[in-house]
Amino acid sequence: MVLIRYRATPMIALAAVGVLALTSCGAGSRTGNANATTVSCGYTAPEGKTTVNVLAYNSSAIDPFTDTMVSSCSTDDVTLKHDPIDFGGQVTKTTATLAGDTGTYDIIETYGFVIPGLAEDEKLVPLDDLYDELAEEYDLDALSESMRAGMSYDGKLYALPMQAQMFVTAYRTDVFDDLGLKPPTTFDEMITAAEAIKQAGVMEYPIALPWLATADVSTSYQAAMNSLGADFVSADGEVTLDTPEAKQALEAMLSLKPYMDPQVTTFDQPKVQQQMFNGTAAMSIMFSGRMNDLTLPANSKLSDSFGFAGAPKLTADAPYSYNRLSIDGWSIPFNTKLDKKMLFTMMASAVSEKASKASVPAAYPARADMVTDENSPYGAAANDSIDSAMPPVVSPYLADMTNEIRPILVEVLNGNLSVDDGLAQMQSAGEKIAG
Amino acid sequence: MKTREFWVLFFPSLLVMGALLVLPLVRTVQWSFEQVRYGVPGEFVGLANFVEALTDVRFGRAVLFTVSVTVVTTIILLVGGYIIATAVNRLTITRPLVLGIMLVSYVLPNLVGAVAFSWLFDDSFGGLANRIIEAFTGNQVLWFTDQVPNGILVIANTVWSMIPFAMLIILAGLQGVPSELKEAARIDGASSFQTHLHVIIPTIRGVLGFVTLITIMDVLRMFDNLIPLSPQAQSIGNESIMLYVYSVAFADGAQRLGLGSAINVLTILLILIMLIPFIRGIFKEAKAER
Amino acid sequence: MTIKPLDLSTRAITTGGAPRRKPTRRRPLTGILLGLLCVLMLSPFIWMTLSVTKPTDVAFANPPVFSGYTPTLQAFVDLWQTTYFADYLVNTLVVAVVSTVLALVIGIPAAYALSRFPSYVSALLLVLALVFRALPRFAVVLPMYDISKSLGIYDTTFALALALVAINQPFTIWLLRNFFAEIPRELDEAAMIDGCSRIGMLRRVMIPLMGPGILTAGIFVFLFAFQEYLTALVLTDSSSKTVPVFIATQLGQTLPMLQQAGAASMLLTIPVVVIAFIAQKYLVAGLSDGAVKG
Repeated sequence: MVLIRYRATPMIALAAVGVLALTSCGAGSRTGNANATTVSCGYTAPEGKTTVNVLAYNSSAIDPFTDTMVSSCSTDDVTLKHDPIDFGGQVTKTTATLAGDTGTYDIIETYGFVIPGLAEDEKLVPLDDLYDELAEEYDLDALSESMRAGMSYDGKLYALPMQAQMFVTAYRTDVFDDLGLKPPTTFDEMITAAEAIKQAGVMEYPIALPWLATADVSTSYQAAMNSLGADFVSADGEVTLDTPEAKQALEAMLSLKPYMDPQVTTFDQPKVQQQMFNGTAAMSIMFSGRMNDLTLPANSKLSDSFGFAGAPKLTADAPYSYNRLSIDGWSIPFNTKLDKKMLFTMMASAVSEKASKASVPAAYPARADMVTDENSPYGAAANDSIDSAMPPVVSPYLADMTNEIRPILVEVLNGNLSVDDGLAQMQSAGEKIAG
Repeated sequence: MKTREFWVLFFPSLLVMGALLVLPLVRTVQWSFEQVRYGVPGEFVGLANFVEALTDVRFGRAVLFTVSVTVVTTIILLVGGYIIATAVNRLTITRPLVLGIMLVSYVLPNLVGAVAFSWLFDDSFGGLANRIIEAFTGNQVLWFTDQVPNGILVIANTVWSMIPFAMLIILAGLQGVPSELKEAARIDGASSFQTHLHVIIPTIRGVLGFVTLITIMDVLRMFDNLIPLSPQAQSIGNESIMLYVYSVAFADGAQRLGLGSAINVLTILLILIMLIPFIRGIFKEAKAER
Repeated sequence: MTIKPLDLSTRAITTGGAPRRKPTRRRPLTGILLGLLCVLMLSPFIWMTLSVTKPTDVAFANPPVFSGYTPTLQAFVDLWQTTYFADYLVNTLVVAVVSTVLALVIGIPAAYALSRFPSYVSALLLVLALVFRALPRFAVVLPMYDISKSLGIYDTTFALALALVAINQPFTIWLLRNFFAEIPRELDEAAMIDGCSRIGMLRRVMIPLMGPGILTAGIFVFLFAFQEYLTALVLTDSSSKTVPVFIATQLGQTLPMLQQAGAASMLLTIPVVVIAFIAQKYLVAGLSDGAVKG
């Protein structure tokens, strides 16, 4: 009798497995994206069965293009495979797959920041010839020229741009209205608003920024310096981390710390979204690709309390806003064994006009004038932000330099290192890379 | 048994272990003296990798963290495992149920258990455990950005996943304590606590030694659970040795194989040194039994 | 290891067949404390179950929400339908099964052979098993990565299974050897008198006798392969990805995908929990025999 009683537990567990297994009906059958569509994707398929591995992180802005590509270009013999992966994972796998003579991935998502370095190391296939061949068929000339330039290096095109992302401020309209606050246009206004919210006892840490000690935090520092018209290196390749602008930017970031969660250096963008969803923060600044999630009722009960504004400036007289303009696109790695024209066709179909239209409002496509105030809740904010962003400094050393200075930056932000010591260390770390 | 028969039976295993365990180890030792990347023959640099590893502050912190966690975990596992085993020893009918429940954390993959653990302490995910602890202590504890709380979190997770193992082994040992010994102690007027301390524990010395040994060996190699529990490991000084090797020789396409291999070799030496007392004990017993 | 082998049948441990004592006064307190302990040990699992079955808008709410919503299995449906979870699960199971079968096929003869050797060999074997188990795994896995890439077997379930067989082999042999050592040598001689070869005797006499021991070793190897993360992280990429590796790549994702990672965790957990309950006595036998008779 005793033994029978304790057989019950495994039986219950097996029943649970059965129920959960039933949810598996139709495994792998859909991509489930409201912003993806099916487009024509005509290429010459190779003999036999082929798998095309696509590397792209998941976000509400990238997924429409990835899902369009996967659903439109797969046939019986050619399968496009896209494993879900977070942004950190994509960074890791990009470096890993480009490291040797053979790689795992055939189409990789890249962005303006890493293109110079990868192009310099000859890790990406230049796309000019394929572009000329297929531009008319896929209406590629309608892709914004400045964005194509952003995906080029040394006169050659290395990625097909699919969308742009820029910093956008998201804030709680209800909290701001109650306290008579306006969306902040400078860091000082952010602090004033945060003070007011704190005094009113509404939230303890009203500001949330993605400062995770990976690419997130160094991008934020770069954005702060950009607001002052500077960057980690100057246009002629000189490392500029010991300049007054570098110091001012760092101090501006530190001035926001009292109004942010003490564990802010563990926040990536999904976690910052989480702060907004949970009502623990009233304003955040993230890439535009993360804005659409905030408006979906499925994600939180506060979905109609969010408003959007362009990114603020560091100070009222700063030339640009606290902003990074990132262009996302598709590239072909040098070590793929598949036919490059076929891969280019797949990429081109994913950035076609139909696909780009469908991706709004989740994304800000690279085709001109697709996003307006009407068709996107954050459209006005995004357009304002694009206009106020600093044109990027192009340097093949930036990506590596950023990796070197990042640990030092984190130490300063955590209060373990003084600003001056931190700047000096970052300067010498940067000089080691840039030579 | 004839020698030929022995080798026929033993050969497949020997082949697999030789090719897949011994050869890679030899390769690691070879790489530790070279500057080398994957797929490319390396160049000999003598002891440069070892010097770099030993003078690297980050390596020192990794060793300190790993050894501290190992020591604390071992002590908690021995004491906690003993107490729980004693309690479970009294159960009769409910024993299979309790053992089954306790075993869950041991059979779960470490990574999965650590992810579930981290959700309990993360405010972004509702963090129930964090709320309860803050309610009790009145303080805000930063589990992921402060070194000591994060260390406690890692230790808690390691103990959580290994205590079933410790408890089971000690339970087996407790069952082997002759009841006459315990009776004799009680007749002599010993209290319960004294019985435990002076009669039972010395009798199960060997079992406790075994638990200590396995715990030390397993915790020194910790890696899986740090991925979700300590995303800031490097900056707060809570990297384990294995995590350090991973970030130096593999993560993000890092290819400093020479340095990574040197650290591996140093770790092997460290582990061998820690194992020496146990190895000596084993051989002494084997000789005694002969 | 200094304990003389007493009669520690596993039944004794799991069903408490020791002579009944009079219940002491501390019984209820012990029961309550043990109950509390059981809840604590299961709490991460319970929390994850709750988070995964809540609708996304309340799943990770802070402060946590415990009522006022309808539980849903949407995360599981999305996991199966929008990711390649079926593939990952198959990979994990294939790797576990293949490594178990391989480990037993080559481990059983080796363990038998070693069990018939004098006892100092067993001490040496124990030492080797301990040393290999204690090794930092990267010392073995990084060269395996290099070798598998140059041989072209990188990112295959076979390579991963083979790696796991090798890594767990010392422990497997040691465990099986302990079980074999309990079978008296006279039995070997008796079986071979009729002209049976040693290998034939192994097959027809020893292995049937060793049923529980083999099952125990099999369960352990299966569990080790199932739980493996580090080796899978290094040796797999896209085609042979296993579930733990998949879960780790979802840690920086948005809410719905985090819930799917949690759902994947639960689907991975439930089979091993079932094993923990049903195969309890084998796990206990393996662990305790090793400690006590080693």
